[in-house]
Amino acid sequence: MARHEHIRNLVLLGMAGLALAVLPHGLSIYFRSFALFTMMYVVLALSWNVISGFTGYTSFGHVAFYGIGAYTCAILVTDYRWHWLSTLGVAAALAALGALALGYPVLRLKGPYFAIAMLGAAEGTRVIVTVWDSLTHGGLGISLPSAETSLETYYAMLALMLVTAAVAYAVGHSRFGIRLNAIREDEVAAEALGIDATRYKLAAFVLSAVFPAMAGGIQAYKVLYIDPPSVFFIQITIAMALMSMLGGKGTVIGPILGAVVLYSVQEATWVNFPTAHLIAYGLFIVLVARFLPRGLMGLAIDRGWVRKGMVH
Amino acid sequence: MAGCSFAVPRGTICGLIGPNGSGKTTTFNLLTGLAKPDGGAVLYRGEDIAGMKPYQVFRRGITRTFQITRIFREMTVLENMLSVTGLAAAERIARARADELLALVNLTHLRAEYGGRLSYGQQKLLEFARALMTDPDVILLDEPAAGINRTLLQHLLDHIHRLHEQGKTIVIVEHDMNVIMNHCERIFVMDYGVKIAEGPPAAIQGDERVIEAYFGRRRAAADVGR
Repeated sequence: MARHEHIRNLVLLGMAGLALAVLPHGLSIYFRSFALFTMMYVVLALSWNVISGFTGYTSFGHVAFYGIGAYTCAILVTDYRWHWLSTLGVAAALAALGALALGYPVLRLKGPYFAIAMLGAAEGTRVIVTVWDSLTHGGLGISLPSAETSLETYYAMLALMLVTAAVAYAVGHSRFGIRLNAIREDEVAAEALGIDATRYKLAAFVLSAVFPAMAGGIQAYKVLYIDPPSVFFIQITIAMALMSMLGGKGTVIGPILGAVVLYSVQEATWVNFPTAHLIAYGLFIVLVARFLPRGLMGLAIDRGWVRKGMVH
Repeated sequence: MAGCSFAVPRGTICGLIGPNGSGKTTTFNLLTGLAKPDGGAVLYRGEDIAGMKPYQVFRRGITRTFQITRIFREMTVLENMLSVTGLAAAERIARARADELLALVNLTHLRAEYGGRLSYGQQKLLEFARALMTDPDVILLDEPAAGINRTLLQHLLDHIHRLHEQGKTIVIVEHDMNVIMNHCERIFVMDYGVKIAEGPPAAIQGDERVIEAYFGRRRAAADVGR
């Protein structure tokens, strides 16, 4: 991609950011929340895509990092009187460390084994958080004190989304991204071309962990009450994955598109029927796998509306 | 493999032949870090590279292609080329090199196409070009002639000879005896994991053990080179 194309895209991102920054002033509280959570899912889907879409290591446990972020924020704000924004840095750092420690053994596993190991990791994290009640208040959950209007968290999430999008873009259109794709396509061949797969996978994994953690932290401060089941919720993992796949995993716009579309559909239809949630997700998974295996972006590429490949 | 010993002289084109299952690809795997030897050494420029990881072997200037092409199917031809590491940091230098090599193998018009959409012969050329991105000193080719037509094969052989003129060391595993006998300076023959013969084409063609390995004991005066 030529330099001017990158600049154009950055400008577009900036304009979107500006539009979203002005938006909440005209919206009701409900729609502000809707916008905030849409942006949150954009962050989650983009992050999931880095390890699962680009690198091909499909994670079924990314909610672990989200949960770590939520709890970091909640504990520091409630029990230690930190300002909530400063907790986000800690959340990111903890998620990064966790990803390094977890990634080293778990990234040796391939395909479904990695997916299941991550599922186990997420569940394990949830159990630890539940049991370690001296730190986390366990099953009682944590009620956060709040002094914010709904605007503070909105802007924090907006800023996080813009940063995540910029990072995902930088990764996707760089040689770093190409090498992640190479690992996904054929790890043996990638190694034979000089790619130290272990290092690249770990980098992608850590990168994919820090933004969900911060999203979790902001979300905690937004909803003001968290407990293990609500925060380490399998639905969040499924949502991340499904949104990415619906939009087109392995692209940058895909996860953004998928998050916006799915979350909007979700809120417009079955939000009043919580039991329908998983059924609806299940249905979507089947439909996407059957009719849109490469997502909406894949469709766009096949139609010629979008160029093939990420680097031109 | 058992007790195998080879010495590949620098700057030569060597052939590695033998019946199916004799250990040729295993040899390549041992040389490039895809397999670890239980004993012995792989000496390259005085350093034992046995047991090193593939990316470490690659960075020392040894590259290989695979028996069944391992190009990146869901990535474009250009991305396949740019996936290689060890190039100059400046992307435009890498791109220039990629364009140069793609032109050499006549794939420039397909640089924006997915690797998986290329024909088999084009995929082989892509894998070959990709392997040359870092200007390696040693090039191991695993059955480069398999499954491609004569014209394409001739192009490939022209490239190989050009590389040879540049001082590269090339080892070719092949079943196509025309390629081996007419283009290699030195040939190693394997059977059941052991080296059974070594020498220039003329010597190998008449070698009884080689004939026996390929055709069995009863075949008399079968010229392996024909």
